[in-house]
Amino acid sequence: MSSDVILVIVVGAALAFDFTNGFHDTANVVATSISTGAARPQVAIAVASLLNFAGAFISISVAATVANEVVDAAVITPTIVFAGLIGAIAWNLVTWYFGLPSSSSHALIGGVVGSAVAASGFQVVIAEGLVGKVLIPAIVAPLLAFVAAGISIGLAYRVIGKQRPGIVSRGFKYGQVLSGGMLALAHGTNDAQKTMGVITLALIANGSLGAGSDPPIWVIASSAAAIALGTYSGGWRIIKTTGTRIIKMDAAQGFTSQGAGSAVILASTHFGFPLSTTHVINGGVMGAGAAKRLSAVRWGVAGNIIVAWVLTLPAAAAIGAATYGVTSIFGSGAVGPVVVTVAALAGIGAAFVRRAQRGAPVPVQSG
Amino acid sequence: MLSFAEIVETKELLQTVVFAFVAGVGVTVIFSVAIWGVARFVDLSQEDRPVAATAAAAIAALALLAVMAAVVVGVIVMTSK
Repeated sequence: MSSDVILVIVVGAALAFDFTNGFHDTANVVATSISTGAARPQVAIAVASLLNFAGAFISISVAATVANEVVDAAVITPTIVFAGLIGAIAWNLVTWYFGLPSSSSHALIGGVVGSAVAASGFQVVIAEGLVGKVLIPAIVAPLLAFVAAGISIGLAYRVIGKQRPGIVSRGFKYGQVLSGGMLALAHGTNDAQKTMGVITLALIANGSLGAGSDPPIWVIASSAAAIALGTYSGGWRIIKTTGTRIIKMDAAQGFTSQGAGSAVILASTHFGFPLSTTHVINGGVMGAGAAKRLSAVRWGVAGNIIVAWVLTLPAAAAIGAATYGVTSIFGSGAVGPVVVTVAALAGIGAAFVRRAQRGAPVPVQSG
Repeated sequence: MLSFAEIVETKELLQTVVFAFVAGVGVTVIFSVAIWGVARFVDLSQEDRPVAATAAAAIAALALLAVMAAVVVGVIVMTSK
Protein backbone atom coordinates (compact mmCIF):
# COMPACT_ATOMS: atom_id res chain seq x y z
CA MET A 1 0.00 0.00 0.00
CA SER A 2 2.77 2.41 1.03
CA SER A 3 4.77 1.66 -2.12
CA ASP A 4 1.67 2.27 -4.26
CA VAL A 5 1.21 5.69 -2.64
CA ILE A 6 4.86 6.52 -3.40
CA LEU A 7 4.38 5.28 -6.97
CA VAL A 8 1.39 7.59 -7.46
CA ILE A 9 3.44 10.50 -6.11
CA VAL A 10 6.34 9.57 -8.41
CA VAL A 11 4.10 9.44 -11.48
CA GLY A 12 2.58 12.80 -10.49
CA ALA A 13 6.04 14.31 -9.94
CA ALA A 14 7.30 12.85 -13.25
CA LEU A 15 4.38 14.36 -15.16
CA ALA A 16 4.93 17.67 -13.33
CA PHE A 17 8.57 17.50 -14.42
CA ASP A 18 7.44 16.77 -17.98
CA PHE A 19 5.18 19.82 -17.82
CA THR A 20 8.09 22.01 -16.63
CA ASN A 21 10.23 20.43 -19.35
CA GLY A 22 7.73 21.56 -21.98
CA PHE A 23 7.33 24.92 -20.28
CA HIS A 24 11.10 25.39 -20.00
CA ASP A 25 12.69 23.64 -22.97
CA THR A 26 10.18 23.91 -25.73
CA ALA A 27 10.38 27.67 -25.56
CA ASN A 28 13.76 27.16 -27.20
CA VAL A 29 12.12 25.30 -30.03
CA VAL A 30 9.85 28.19 -31.01
CA ALA A 31 12.15 31.08 -30.05
CA THR A 32 13.91 31.36 -33.39
CA SER A 33 10.66 31.23 -35.40
CA ILE A 34 9.13 33.94 -33.23
CA SER A 35 12.17 36.22 -33.14
CA THR A 36 12.60 36.23 -36.93
CA GLY A 37 8.87 36.86 -37.44
CA ALA A 38 8.38 33.54 -39.24
CA ALA A 39 5.40 32.70 -37.03
CA ARG A 40 3.11 34.50 -34.62
CA PRO A 41 3.88 33.50 -31.02
CA GLN A 42 0.55 31.84 -30.22
CA VAL A 43 0.51 29.94 -33.53
CA ALA A 44 4.13 28.79 -33.14
CA ILE A 45 3.51 27.58 -29.60
CA ALA A 46 0.24 25.80 -30.49
CA VAL A 47 1.86 24.00 -33.43
CA ALA A 48 4.91 23.12 -31.32
CA SER A 49 2.60 21.64 -28.66
CA LEU A 50 0.84 19.43 -31.19
CA LEU A 51 4.10 18.27 -32.77
CA ASN A 52 5.63 17.56 -29.36
CA PHE A 53 2.61 15.41 -28.59
CA ALA A 54 2.99 13.55 -31.89
CA GLY A 55 6.76 13.22 -31.51
CA ALA A 56 6.41 11.48 -28.18
CA PHE A 57 4.81 8.48 -29.90
CA ILE A 58 7.51 8.04 -32.54
CA SER A 59 10.27 6.24 -30.66
CA ILE A 60 11.13 4.69 -27.28
CA SER A 61 14.90 4.29 -27.66
CA VAL A 62 15.70 7.18 -25.33
CA ALA A 63 13.16 5.99 -22.73
CA ALA A 64 14.87 2.60 -22.71
CA THR A 65 18.25 4.26 -22.13
CA VAL A 66 16.97 6.33 -19.19
CA ALA A 67 15.14 3.37 -17.64
CA ASN A 68 17.86 0.76 -18.00
CA GLU A 69 21.29 2.18 -18.85
CA VAL A 70 22.08 5.05 -16.44
CA VAL A 71 21.55 3.55 -12.99
CA ASP A 72 21.13 -0.06 -11.89
CA ALA A 73 17.34 -0.57 -12.00
CA ALA A 74 17.63 -3.55 -9.63
CA VAL A 75 18.51 -1.37 -6.62
CA ILE A 76 16.34 1.64 -7.47
CA THR A 77 13.26 2.31 -5.34
CA PRO A 78 10.34 4.62 -6.14
CA THR A 79 11.59 6.96 -3.38
CA ILE A 80 14.96 7.31 -5.15
CA VAL A 81 13.18 8.17 -8.40
CA PHE A 82 10.98 10.66 -6.52
CA ALA A 83 14.02 12.41 -4.97
CA GLY A 84 15.69 12.58 -8.38
CA LEU A 85 12.59 14.16 -9.89
CA ILE A 86 12.47 16.78 -7.15
CA GLY A 87 16.12 17.61 -7.91
CA ALA A 88 15.31 18.03 -11.59
CA ILE A 89 12.15 20.08 -11.05
CA ALA A 90 13.90 22.37 -8.53
CA TRP A 91 16.80 23.03 -10.91
CA ASN A 92 14.41 23.59 -13.83
CA LEU A 93 12.48 26.18 -11.83
CA VAL A 94 15.63 27.97 -10.64
CA THR A 95 17.01 28.28 -14.18
CA TRP A 96 13.59 29.24 -15.53
CA TYR A 97 13.35 31.98 -12.87
CA PHE A 98 16.64 33.46 -14.06
CA GLY A 99 15.81 32.95 -17.75
CA LEU A 100 18.64 30.50 -18.41
CA PRO A 101 18.07 27.80 -21.04
CA SER A 102 19.64 24.91 -19.12
CA SER A 103 19.01 21.25 -19.85
CA SER A 104 15.94 19.56 -18.35
CA SER A 105 17.33 16.24 -19.55
CA HIS A 106 20.58 16.59 -17.68
CA ALA A 107 18.66 17.87 -14.66
CA LEU A 108 16.56 14.71 -14.70
CA ILE A 109 19.49 12.36 -15.15
CA GLY A 110 21.57 14.29 -12.60
CA GLY A 111 18.74 14.21 -10.08
CA VAL A 112 18.19 10.47 -10.41
CA VAL A 113 21.93 9.71 -10.29
CA GLY A 114 22.37 11.94 -7.23
CA SER A 115 19.54 10.38 -5.27
CA ALA A 116 20.60 6.87 -6.29
CA VAL A 117 24.17 7.52 -5.13
CA ALA A 118 22.89 8.98 -1.84
CA ALA A 119 20.82 5.83 -1.31
CA SER A 120 23.15 3.06 -2.47
CA GLY A 121 26.61 4.50 -3.20
CA PHE A 122 28.49 5.04 -6.45
CA GLN A 123 28.30 1.37 -7.48
CA VAL A 124 24.67 1.94 -8.53
CA VAL A 125 25.78 4.16 -11.42
CA ILE A 126 26.26 2.39 -14.77
CA ALA A 127 29.40 4.16 -15.96
CA GLU A 128 29.13 2.99 -19.58
CA GLY A 129 25.59 4.32 -19.85
CA LEU A 130 26.20 7.60 -18.03
CA VAL A 131 29.42 8.43 -19.87
CA GLY A 132 28.76 6.79 -23.23
CA LYS A 133 25.08 7.64 -23.62
CA VAL A 134 24.81 10.91 -21.71
CA LEU A 135 28.07 12.78 -21.04
CA ILE A 136 29.89 12.27 -24.36
CA PRO A 137 26.77 13.06 -26.47
CA ALA A 138 26.22 16.07 -24.17
CA ILE A 139 29.55 17.49 -25.32
CA VAL A 140 29.38 16.35 -28.95
CA ALA A 141 25.78 17.35 -29.75
CA PRO A 142 25.91 21.13 -29.20
CA LEU A 143 29.34 21.33 -30.87
CA LEU A 144 27.95 19.40 -33.82
CA ALA A 145 24.94 21.73 -34.04
CA PHE A 146 27.31 24.73 -33.76
CA VAL A 147 29.54 23.51 -36.61
CA ALA A 148 26.68 22.31 -38.82
CA ALA A 149 24.74 25.56 -38.41
CA GLY A 150 27.89 27.62 -38.99
CA ILE A 151 28.84 25.81 -42.20
CA SER A 152 25.18 25.77 -43.34
CA ILE A 153 24.70 29.50 -43.00
CA GLY A 154 28.04 30.18 -44.75
CA LEU A 155 27.02 28.01 -47.70
CA ALA A 156 23.47 29.43 -47.72
CA TYR A 157 24.73 33.02 -47.97
CA ARG A 158 27.08 31.93 -50.76
CA VAL A 159 24.27 30.23 -52.71
CA ILE A 160 21.84 33.11 -52.22
CA GLY A 161 24.49 35.64 -53.28
CA LYS A 162 22.98 39.03 -54.05
CA GLN A 163 19.41 38.00 -54.67
CA ARG A 164 16.61 40.30 -53.55
CA PRO A 165 16.59 40.46 -49.74
CA GLY A 166 12.78 40.51 -49.61
CA ILE A 167 12.39 37.23 -51.50
CA VAL A 168 15.25 35.60 -49.60
CA SER A 169 13.85 36.63 -46.23
CA ARG A 170 10.32 35.50 -47.10
CA GLY A 171 11.67 32.20 -48.43
CA PHE A 172 13.56 31.39 -45.27
CA LYS A 173 10.57 32.43 -43.15
CA TYR A 174 8.43 29.91 -45.03
CA GLY A 175 11.26 27.41 -44.55
CA GLN A 176 11.16 28.05 -40.83
CA VAL A 177 7.60 26.70 -40.73
CA LEU A 178 9.12 23.38 -41.82
CA SER A 179 12.34 23.55 -39.79
CA GLY A 180 10.49 24.76 -36.69
CA GLY A 181 7.99 21.92 -37.06
CA MET A 182 10.77 19.39 -37.40
CA LEU A 183 12.49 20.79 -34.33
CA ALA A 184 9.27 20.53 -32.29
CA LEU A 185 8.76 16.95 -33.48
CA ALA A 186 12.36 16.09 -32.64
CA HIS A 187 11.96 17.68 -29.22
CA GLY A 188 8.90 15.55 -28.50
CA THR A 189 10.71 12.38 -29.52
CA ASN A 190 13.73 12.99 -27.31
CA ASP A 191 12.42 14.92 -24.31
CA ALA A 192 9.07 13.28 -23.62
CA GLN A 193 10.86 9.95 -23.63
CA LYS A 194 12.95 10.91 -20.63
CA THR A 195 9.83 11.18 -18.50
CA MET A 196 8.59 7.89 -19.92
CA GLY A 197 11.93 6.36 -18.95
CA VAL A 198 11.73 7.64 -15.39
CA ILE A 199 8.13 6.48 -14.88
CA THR A 200 9.10 3.11 -16.35
CA LEU A 201 12.05 2.97 -13.94
CA ALA A 202 9.69 3.64 -11.02
CA LEU A 203 7.27 0.96 -12.25
CA ILE A 204 10.14 -1.54 -12.49
CA ALA A 205 11.35 -0.53 -9.01
CA ASN A 206 7.84 -1.04 -7.64
CA GLY A 207 7.58 -4.47 -9.22
CA SER A 208 4.76 -3.36 -11.50
CA LEU A 209 6.90 -4.08 -14.58
CA GLY A 210 9.66 -6.59 -15.27
CA ALA A 211 13.30 -5.48 -15.63
CA GLY A 212 14.09 -4.17 -19.12
CA SER A 213 10.44 -3.49 -19.94
CA ASP A 214 9.37 -0.85 -22.44
CA PRO A 215 7.04 1.96 -21.28
CA PRO A 216 3.33 1.00 -21.31
CA ILE A 217 1.05 2.98 -23.63
CA TRP A 218 -0.56 4.95 -20.77
CA VAL A 219 2.91 6.18 -19.79
CA ILE A 220 3.63 7.26 -23.37
CA ALA A 221 0.26 9.02 -23.74
CA SER A 222 0.40 10.82 -20.40
CA SER A 223 4.01 11.94 -20.97
CA ALA A 224 3.08 13.23 -24.42
CA ALA A 225 0.12 15.15 -23.00
CA ALA A 226 2.15 16.66 -20.14
CA ILE A 227 4.95 17.96 -22.36
CA ALA A 228 2.42 19.31 -24.88
CA LEU A 229 0.52 21.16 -22.14
CA GLY A 230 3.78 22.55 -20.75
CA THR A 231 4.75 23.72 -24.20
CA TYR A 232 1.43 25.46 -24.69
CA SER A 233 1.83 27.26 -21.37
CA GLY A 234 5.02 28.77 -22.78
CA GLY A 235 8.25 29.98 -21.28
CA TRP A 236 8.53 33.56 -22.42
CA ARG A 237 11.69 34.46 -20.53
CA ILE A 238 13.69 31.78 -22.28
CA ILE A 239 12.12 32.58 -25.65
CA LYS A 240 13.51 36.07 -25.17
CA THR A 241 16.99 34.83 -24.20
CA THR A 242 17.32 32.35 -27.06
CA GLY A 243 15.50 34.42 -29.65
CA THR A 244 17.11 37.82 -29.18
CA ARG A 245 19.79 37.89 -26.52
CA ILE A 246 22.32 35.42 -27.94
CA ILE A 247 22.29 36.93 -31.45
CA LYS A 248 19.96 39.17 -33.38
CA MET A 249 19.17 36.68 -36.09
CA ASP A 250 17.73 36.87 -39.59
CA ALA A 251 15.40 34.28 -41.12
CA ALA A 252 18.25 32.40 -42.81
CA GLN A 253 20.05 32.00 -39.50
CA GLY A 254 16.80 30.90 -37.85
CA PHE A 255 16.28 28.27 -40.55
CA THR A 256 19.84 26.93 -40.40
CA SER A 257 19.93 26.76 -36.59
CA GLN A 258 16.61 24.90 -36.53
CA GLY A 259 17.64 22.62 -39.41
CA ALA A 260 20.95 21.71 -37.81
CA GLY A 261 19.28 21.26 -34.42
CA SER A 262 16.57 18.97 -35.84
CA ALA A 263 19.12 16.81 -37.65
CA VAL A 264 21.26 16.39 -34.52
CA ILE A 265 18.29 15.58 -32.25
CA LEU A 266 16.64 13.15 -34.67
CA ALA A 267 19.90 11.30 -35.32
CA SER A 268 20.63 11.09 -31.59
CA THR A 269 17.12 9.89 -30.79
CA HIS A 270 17.52 7.11 -33.35
CA PHE A 271 20.51 5.77 -31.41
CA GLY A 272 18.92 6.31 -27.98
CA PHE A 273 21.11 9.22 -26.82
CA PRO A 274 19.11 11.27 -24.27
CA LEU A 275 20.73 14.58 -25.16
CA SER A 276 19.74 18.10 -24.28
CA THR A 277 17.58 19.72 -26.92
CA THR A 278 18.31 23.03 -25.22
CA HIS A 279 22.05 22.63 -25.71
CA VAL A 280 21.58 21.63 -29.32
CA ILE A 281 19.35 24.51 -30.37
CA ASN A 282 21.50 27.04 -28.53
CA GLY A 283 24.60 25.52 -30.14
CA GLY A 284 22.92 25.95 -33.52
CA VAL A 285 21.95 29.55 -32.77
CA MET A 286 25.50 30.41 -31.68
CA GLY A 287 26.97 28.66 -34.75
CA ALA A 288 24.68 30.54 -37.12
CA GLY A 289 25.64 33.81 -35.45
CA ALA A 290 29.36 33.17 -35.17
CA ALA A 291 29.68 32.15 -38.83
CA LYS A 292 28.32 35.50 -39.95
CA ARG A 293 30.40 37.54 -37.55
CA LEU A 294 32.05 36.36 -34.33
CA SER A 295 31.07 39.57 -32.58
CA ALA A 296 27.42 38.98 -33.57
CA VAL A 297 27.19 36.48 -30.72
CA ARG A 298 26.77 38.07 -27.31
CA TRP A 299 29.39 35.91 -25.72
CA GLY A 300 28.56 37.18 -22.24
CA VAL A 301 25.05 35.74 -22.56
CA ALA A 302 26.44 32.58 -24.18
CA GLY A 303 28.89 32.28 -21.27
CA ASN A 304 26.07 32.48 -18.71
CA ILE A 305 24.20 29.76 -20.57
CA ILE A 306 27.30 27.53 -20.69
CA VAL A 307 27.84 27.99 -16.94
CA ALA A 308 24.23 26.87 -16.36
CA TRP A 309 24.84 23.84 -18.60
CA VAL A 310 27.96 22.81 -16.70
CA LEU A 311 26.25 23.27 -13.34
CA THR A 312 23.08 21.37 -14.26
CA LEU A 313 24.21 17.76 -13.69
CA PRO A 314 26.00 18.34 -10.37
CA ALA A 315 23.41 20.82 -9.06
CA ALA A 316 20.45 18.57 -9.82
CA ALA A 317 22.40 15.61 -8.42
CA ALA A 318 23.08 17.52 -5.19
CA ILE A 319 19.41 18.52 -4.82
CA GLY A 320 18.33 14.94 -5.60
CA ALA A 321 20.74 13.57 -2.99
CA ALA A 322 19.62 16.12 -0.39
CA THR A 323 15.97 15.32 -1.12
CA TYR A 324 16.64 11.62 -0.66
CA GLY A 325 18.32 12.43 2.65
CA VAL A 326 15.27 14.37 3.83
CA THR A 327 12.79 11.66 2.76
CA SER A 328 14.86 8.97 4.49
CA ILE A 329 14.53 10.85 7.81
CA PHE A 330 10.88 9.80 7.75
CA GLY A 331 11.70 6.14 7.07
CA SER A 332 11.09 4.11 3.93
CA GLY A 333 7.31 4.67 3.77
CA ALA A 334 5.23 7.28 2.00
CA VAL A 335 5.55 9.94 4.73
CA GLY A 336 8.86 11.33 3.44
CA PRO A 337 7.74 11.83 -0.18
CA VAL A 338 4.41 13.32 1.04
CA VAL A 339 6.20 15.81 3.32
CA VAL A 340 8.67 16.79 0.57
CA THR A 341 5.85 17.15 -1.98
CA VAL A 342 3.87 19.44 0.32
CA ALA A 343 7.00 21.49 1.12
CA ALA A 344 7.93 21.72 -2.57
CA LEU A 345 4.43 22.85 -3.57
CA ALA A 346 4.47 25.47 -0.81
CA GLY A 347 7.90 26.69 -1.93
CA ILE A 348 6.86 26.91 -5.58
CA GLY A 349 3.67 28.76 -4.63
CA ALA A 350 5.64 31.24 -2.51
CA ALA A 351 8.13 31.84 -5.35
CA PHE A 352 5.31 32.57 -7.81
CA VAL A 353 3.60 34.95 -5.38
CA ARG A 354 6.90 36.72 -4.67
CA ARG A 355 7.62 37.07 -8.37
CA ALA A 356 4.13 38.37 -9.05
CA GLN A 357 4.53 40.98 -6.31
CA ARG A 358 8.04 42.12 -7.26
CA GLY A 359 7.96 41.70 -11.05
CA ALA A 360 10.36 39.72 -13.19
CA PRO A 361 14.10 39.99 -12.52
CA VAL A 362 16.48 40.81 -15.37
CA PRO A 363 17.14 37.32 -16.81
CA VAL A 364 20.80 37.54 -17.90
CA GLN A 365 23.34 40.26 -18.46
CA SER A 366 24.07 40.86 -22.12
CA GLY A 367 27.34 42.09 -23.45
CA MET B 1 38.45 -0.79 -15.35
CA LEU B 2 36.64 -0.10 -18.60
CA SER B 3 38.54 1.55 -21.46
CA PHE B 4 37.25 4.63 -23.26
CA ALA B 5 36.47 2.55 -26.35
CA GLU B 6 34.36 0.15 -24.28
CA ILE B 7 32.39 2.96 -22.65
CA VAL B 8 31.74 5.11 -25.71
CA GLU B 9 29.56 3.65 -28.43
CA THR B 10 31.92 4.93 -31.12
CA LYS B 11 30.08 3.50 -34.11
CA GLU B 12 26.69 4.92 -33.11
CA LEU B 13 28.23 8.25 -32.16
CA LEU B 14 30.06 8.54 -35.48
CA GLN B 15 26.91 7.61 -37.40
CA THR B 16 25.00 10.27 -35.47
CA VAL B 17 27.64 12.89 -36.31
CA VAL B 18 27.75 11.98 -40.00
CA PHE B 19 23.97 11.75 -40.44
CA ALA B 20 23.28 14.95 -38.53
CA PHE B 21 26.00 16.89 -40.35
CA VAL B 22 25.00 15.72 -43.84
CA ALA B 23 21.27 16.24 -43.18
CA GLY B 24 21.66 19.59 -41.41
CA VAL B 25 24.03 21.11 -43.96
CA GLY B 26 22.49 19.37 -46.98
CA VAL B 27 18.92 20.44 -46.34
CA THR B 28 19.94 24.05 -45.75
CA VAL B 29 22.01 24.21 -48.93
CA ILE B 30 19.30 22.60 -51.05
CA PHE B 31 16.66 24.91 -49.58
CA SER B 32 18.94 27.86 -50.37
CA VAL B 33 19.10 26.64 -53.96
CA ALA B 34 15.28 26.63 -54.00
CA ILE B 35 15.16 30.24 -52.80
CA TRP B 36 17.83 31.19 -55.34
CA GLY B 37 15.68 29.57 -58.05
CA VAL B 38 12.59 31.50 -57.01
CA ALA B 39 14.50 34.80 -56.85
CA ARG B 40 16.05 34.20 -60.27
CA PHE B 41 12.64 33.20 -61.68
CA VAL B 42 11.17 36.54 -60.57
CA ASP B 43 14.09 38.53 -61.98
CA LEU B 44 14.26 36.65 -65.28
CA SER B 45 10.49 36.88 -65.75
CA GLN B 46 10.68 40.65 -65.34
CA GLU B 47 13.56 40.74 -67.85
CA ASP B 48 11.28 38.88 -70.29
CA ARG B 49 13.52 35.79 -70.56
CA PRO B 50 10.95 32.98 -70.35
CA VAL B 51 13.27 30.02 -71.06
CA ALA B 52 15.79 30.98 -68.41
CA ALA B 53 12.95 31.82 -65.99
CA THR B 54 11.42 28.39 -66.55
CA ALA B 55 14.77 26.73 -65.91
CA ALA B 56 15.16 28.67 -62.64
CA ALA B 57 11.62 27.68 -61.61
CA ALA B 58 12.40 24.03 -62.40
CA ILE B 59 15.55 24.16 -60.25
CA ALA B 60 13.53 25.70 -57.41
CA ALA B 61 10.83 23.03 -57.70
CA LEU B 62 13.37 20.19 -57.76
CA ALA B 63 15.20 21.61 -54.76
CA LEU B 64 11.95 21.92 -52.80
CA LEU B 65 11.04 18.32 -53.66
CA ALA B 66 14.48 17.21 -52.51
CA VAL B 67 14.04 19.02 -49.19
CA MET B 68 10.63 17.41 -48.64
CA ALA B 69 12.06 13.99 -49.53
CA ALA B 70 14.94 14.48 -47.09
CA VAL B 71 12.51 15.35 -44.30
CA VAL B 72 10.31 12.32 -44.99
CA VAL B 73 13.32 9.97 -45.20
CA GLY B 74 14.66 11.42 -41.95
CA VAL B 75 11.43 10.74 -40.08
CA ILE B 76 11.14 7.23 -41.57
CA VAL B 77 14.72 6.36 -40.62
CA MET B 78 14.15 7.59 -37.09
CA THR B 79 10.94 5.63 -36.62
CA SER B 80 12.35 2.44 -38.13
CA LYS B 81 14.21 1.41 -34.97
